[in-house]
Amino acid sequence: MAKLQGKKKRDSYDVVANIVIVFFAICNLFPIYWLFTSSLKNSSDVIKMPPDWWPKTFTFSNYTEVFDSQPALRWTFNSLYVAGLSTILLVVTSSMAAYAFSKLRFKGKMVIFVIFISSLMVPKEVMIVPLFRIAQDLGLVNDLHGMIWPNVAVAFGVFLLKGFFDSVPDALREAARIDGAGEVRTFLQIMIPIVKPGIGALFILNFVQVWNDYLWQLVIGQEKEMKTLMVGIATLMQDLNPNFAYKMAGATVAAIPMLIIFLLFQGYFTRGLAGGAVKE
Amino acid sequence: MLKKRLFAAVPAVALTVGLLAGCSGNNGNSGEEASGSASAGAGKDKVEISVWLTPQWKGAFDSTESDADYDSFFKYAADKFVKQYDKYDAKINVQVIAGDQRDELLNVNLNGGTPPDVFFESVFAMGDYAHRGALVPLNDIVDDAAKSDIAQGYWDNVTFGNDIYFYPFSNNPGTLAYNADMFRAAGLDSFVGGESEIKTWTLDEYNQILEALKTKLPKDKYSNAYPMALYALNNQGDTWNLAYLRMFGNKFFDDQGNIVLDDENGVKAAEWLRNLYKSGYTNPGAESVSSNDANAMFLNQQLAVSFTNPVLFNNAKADMAAGKAPKFDVRLANIPSVSGDPLTFTYVVGASVFKTGDDKRTEVAKDFVKFFSSDPELVKASKNSIPVRSSVISEFKDQFPLFEAYDKNSAHLFSFTGNVPGYSELRQVLYPELQAMYIGEKTPAEAVKDYQAKGNEVIQKARQNSVLNK
Repeated sequence: MAKLQGKKKRDSYDVVANIVIVFFAICNLFPIYWLFTSSLKNSSDVIKMPPDWWPKTFTFSNYTEVFDSQPALRWTFNSLYVAGLSTILLVVTSSMAAYAFSKLRFKGKMVIFVIFISSLMVPKEVMIVPLFRIAQDLGLVNDLHGMIWPNVAVAFGVFLLKGFFDSVPDALREAARIDGAGEVRTFLQIMIPIVKPGIGALFILNFVQVWNDYLWQLVIGQEKEMKTLMVGIATLMQDLNPNFAYKMAGATVAAIPMLIIFLLFQGYFTRGLAGGAVKE
Repeated sequence: MLKKRLFAAVPAVALTVGLLAGCSGNNGNSGEEASGSASAGAGKDKVEISVWLTPQWKGAFDSTESDADYDSFFKYAADKFVKQYDKYDAKINVQVIAGDQRDELLNVNLNGGTPPDVFFESVFAMGDYAHRGALVPLNDIVDDAAKSDIAQGYWDNVTFGNDIYFYPFSNNPGTLAYNADMFRAAGLDSFVGGESEIKTWTLDEYNQILEALKTKLPKDKYSNAYPMALYALNNQGDTWNLAYLRMFGNKFFDDQGNIVLDDENGVKAAEWLRNLYKSGYTNPGAESVSSNDANAMFLNQQLAVSFTNPVLFNNAKADMAAGKAPKFDVRLANIPSVSGDPLTFTYVVGASVFKTGDDKRTEVAKDFVKFFSSDPELVKASKNSIPVRSSVISEFKDQFPLFEAYDKNSAHLFSFTGNVPGYSELRQVLYPELQAMYIGEKTPAEAVKDYQAKGNEVIQKARQNSVLNK
């Protein structure tokens, strides 16, 4: 009887919890819904009061205008290329450095790690001018690679992945060595598969960070064709065009690739964040 | 399985496409590699310069041209210049910069030693670069013909210390724009001015107008409309906010160039703004609304009174004619003041030449500025705002009757910059104080006091660093 009552109580808690979760989910999703549906309306319908919660007439003309009047496809490619390649290279460098800090023994390991991590406290804006000069000297202004290289070695990735490597028992590495695996093979075939959730989390976090790296991309991609989607769309928002729906279409174009990436990697992201919290 | 494949496919595709695309736009942005090199074809040295501008007017001469864009005029001018230029084999790259990206881009490029050769912009936004010693004086390209065609007031506006740093091209007087249809709908017919008139209201009349627009505007026709535009998101369009702060008679700057807003009249003006906002006479959320948003709301008939200048006014009419914005009867009015004398100001727009350290590029940049600022055909493009050349005004005054109205209005001009050094940074100080006032974090008196203290600190620091004072 008491068991049954406890179950009923738990069920009612679940119902309340689910209602609260659904409410907050709707609150979070509504701006995206509004953005997307508004981009399919005429400008006058966007500002109508009371509003049309669902477009009465659908128009894709706002999207046509975004892609016709601006090189938005090129901007999309630029953003995907910069965020994608930066993140892949960051994962490679961070995983190797994190593995070394976690599992290898060498002189001054802690000091180097602390120096490395201290760089997290220096905001990127402080480094913009010296970084820009280096990019200029290397001929990387108006070059997508100029947006990529400064994002390849970032201490955050090392910090995040070190936690995952720390959670892998040392015994596993030792067993691999006894079985004849070298350091590279142990790293690639034993360690990397275990920390894959962490890599997934780092991938998505860094992808978002580089995708939104507005200031650096603004100063490096100065020509119209070299802009990234975020910079290009921000420029479009400055346009004196009175068509709100056109601006909504621009913002939707900027948001959609990010949403797709998140949906594809969300499993790794949630598992990765939870996994990193557990230590041996 | 799909995710595993994705993990492998994303890097492979990105790397392959990247290698194929090259991903570089480095086709000689500002001419470093090109400058001074011999051109095989023409036998002249090849010099490449960059021209940056913020959005001004669309089209070479008219926004109704096909493919009219903000860079159309400069591309046309560059083409014409290159064809007739015999000193060098010149190439001119034109780039449009968003207004709110201007200072970030310029500062980083100046620090990196790669400023643009030419920048076309309102003088008030660029004056600090003259104070910082980043610009080349243009005295040698201003001839007597230009001096006699352009009134002395404009030359004073572009002269810093003893030198001319901007070649005046046009000017943009700031006024209010109002929706005459909404006025009529609210029973305000008697306050509507003529089509070619810049209407002047007293402050009492303006308050009556706002009251009627708030209470009498038919909700069935204008369901989501407010009487007046108010914005404080950033520094864009802040000159109108500066004008509102002078409405009660505050002179803003003293004779030494210090801010003196913190007096009875300055506080009264701030209180007037805050009360308008709190009482619903303006759009809500002024602290998070930009001037661009306000302009778009006005064009969508959500606001009855907004800010404007000739470029915005002409763009609005062009958008209406092209069906991009709803059509309505848009007219001009002055910013009222308690004294009854209207408040107006103007942005002189022109080109400046940055110090690049390359003599040939500087020479070409100066030649190009002189060319498009004095060529009889090209200067006609200044009709998109208000021409500074009396010859252009004479040619177009019948076609644009508002030219005369602006001319009459110029008697009420005030210098909104006070010609103080550090004006660009000063602009960063005003809007946070207005935001704090609108969200109730500060009283109007506190906002005014803090603005004055912070603003004077900025001016003092800039004055010490100005190369023009040394």
